[in-house]
Amino acid sequence: MFQLILAVLLPLSIYGAETEEANWRIVNYWSEWCAPCRIEIPMFNELSEQLSSSNVRIVGVNFDEDPREVTLDIADELGIEFPTLTLEQVEELDLRPPDIMPTTYILSPTNEVAAKLIGMQSKADILGQLMQLGLTVQSN
Amino acid sequence: MRKIFHTPKYSLFVPFLFAGLCSNAVFSASEQLGNYSLKLLSSPAPLNSSLSRIVSDELGQIYLSWVSQEGELARLAFSKLTEDEWSSPRVISEGTDWFVNWADFPFLSVNAGNIAAHWLRMSAEGTYDYDIEASFYSVNERSWSEARVLHTDGVSAEHGFVSMLPVDDESTLITWLDGRNTAVGDEYGEMTLRAGIFDAMGKTLKEWELDHRVCECCQTSSAMTAMGPIVVYRDRSVDEIRDISMQRYSDGEWTAPRPIHSDNWRIAGCPVNGPSVSAKEEQVAVAWFTAKDDTPKVQLVLSPDSGDSFSAPILVASGDTNGRVGTTMLDSGEVAVSWIDTSEADTKIMLSLFSSAGELLNNIEVAQTRASRRSGFPIIESVGDTVYVSWTDVSDTPQVKVARVVFGPS
Repeated sequence: MFQLILAVLLPLSIYGAETEEANWRIVNYWSEWCAPCRIEIPMFNELSEQLSSSNVRIVGVNFDEDPREVTLDIADELGIEFPTLTLEQVEELDLRPPDIMPTTYILSPTNEVAAKLIGMQSKADILGQLMQLGLTVQSN
Repeated sequence: MRKIFHTPKYSLFVPFLFAGLCSNAVFSASEQLGNYSLKLLSSPAPLNSSLSRIVSDELGQIYLSWVSQEGELARLAFSKLTEDEWSSPRVISEGTDWFVNWADFPFLSVNAGNIAAHWLRMSAEGTYDYDIEASFYSVNERSWSEARVLHTDGVSAEHGFVSMLPVDDESTLITWLDGRNTAVGDEYGEMTLRAGIFDAMGKTLKEWELDHRVCECCQTSSAMTAMGPIVVYRDRSVDEIRDISMQRYSDGEWTAPRPIHSDNWRIAGCPVNGPSVSAKEEQVAVAWFTAKDDTPKVQLVLSPDSGDSFSAPILVASGDTNGRVGTTMLDSGEVAVSWIDTSEADTKIMLSLFSSAGELLNNIEVAQTRASRRSGFPIIESVGDTVYVSWTDVSDTPQVKVARVVFGPS
């Protein structure tokens, strides 16, 4: 069986970031009522696992801004395995709330928006964006 | 535990600012445009209320509905405005298994003493499926009907984004998004647009599928023209163009779906931003949000012939807006459009007034709000040349607010 092994090589800190600040982040806005969001969640789960030893982290945002306890319940029901940000963490990102669901941002280690991906994404879409950003992706 | 009810945390919200609205009517001059008076009315809605609708009946009487929440209990109630005083709220329905959503919320329709109202109830545990339930008050029967599910598919799927329109004294046109085909097969299927005519006790008189493939999560809107009811909605082409389409019911038939304007906005996602239509005789106005090339815009088109043709789009707002539009047509033929301005940290509910020819006459800030989903969709309605605006103030404990706007001479 074909197994995708990813290594995202960053221009400066090649692999295995020591601190969260050194990480690129893929920020996925989801909502329980958004069917395309639910469809792409398993892909993000898989990708999150595959990127776990790289300098890229996947995090989620509940678009509906529910209270934390409710958000975590929904994330659990949706089967979301990557971290879901708190409202305070979302505010710190200083992102314009998306006009379309789902929307996924790729943020640089300095919190700049490197890419804004609108609509449902595939793994190839995400990996393609990472490569366009100069983040070399190796697979075999 | 499933999320059905929201007890939002608003610690991030800034204090609500509503300068000049707590006193009686104040005539103010807006920037280089006409005068207006804007008055904040008392609200009949309690704390922890949201999801308001403001509608008028054939006599020009104003009604406000809202959803209030206490723990897991959600309650739909309404009140009638008479000379700046609201009647005691009357509860239409309540439940602990409702789907309470900031974008998909109850509709109220009042005509000739008959009332129709809906809410959303979860149809199955552990799913994202919900049904449209409705209750009807018949002035002849002097009673409310038993709550009934409007759609007859029996499929556990998403149903919602309802709009209601009285078509005569005894019946109401109800339009909704119907997900019966989304549950067919292994993959998420296509959302349909359906409509039906219901009598004063909620019996289905006619029902149609209007469009077999529409955007999954945008509001529908309907209005009565001289040529019959017009329905507008966000369409969805096979290549994911999600522009606004219309259909009209004339001479017992629905016209084919037709775009009101080709934005060519291609997105494989949900904008959660439906259009709004209003009409007076042959005059029709449609306002909508689009964000082609990631540039948010609110646009308006006008029709002089009940929707047979539309003007070129009139730009209402561009760049710093997240849409959430409303529209209403005044007796003067002028058109009011509500929209959200996100140009500053304190998001504003704006009301723009256009002449029947599409000329901008006035542009005023009704209230400050938050871009948060919790603030929901402002709703506008007009009686004569007076515009009523309702929204949810989320600066502290959420509460539905109402303001009245009268535009002066330009």
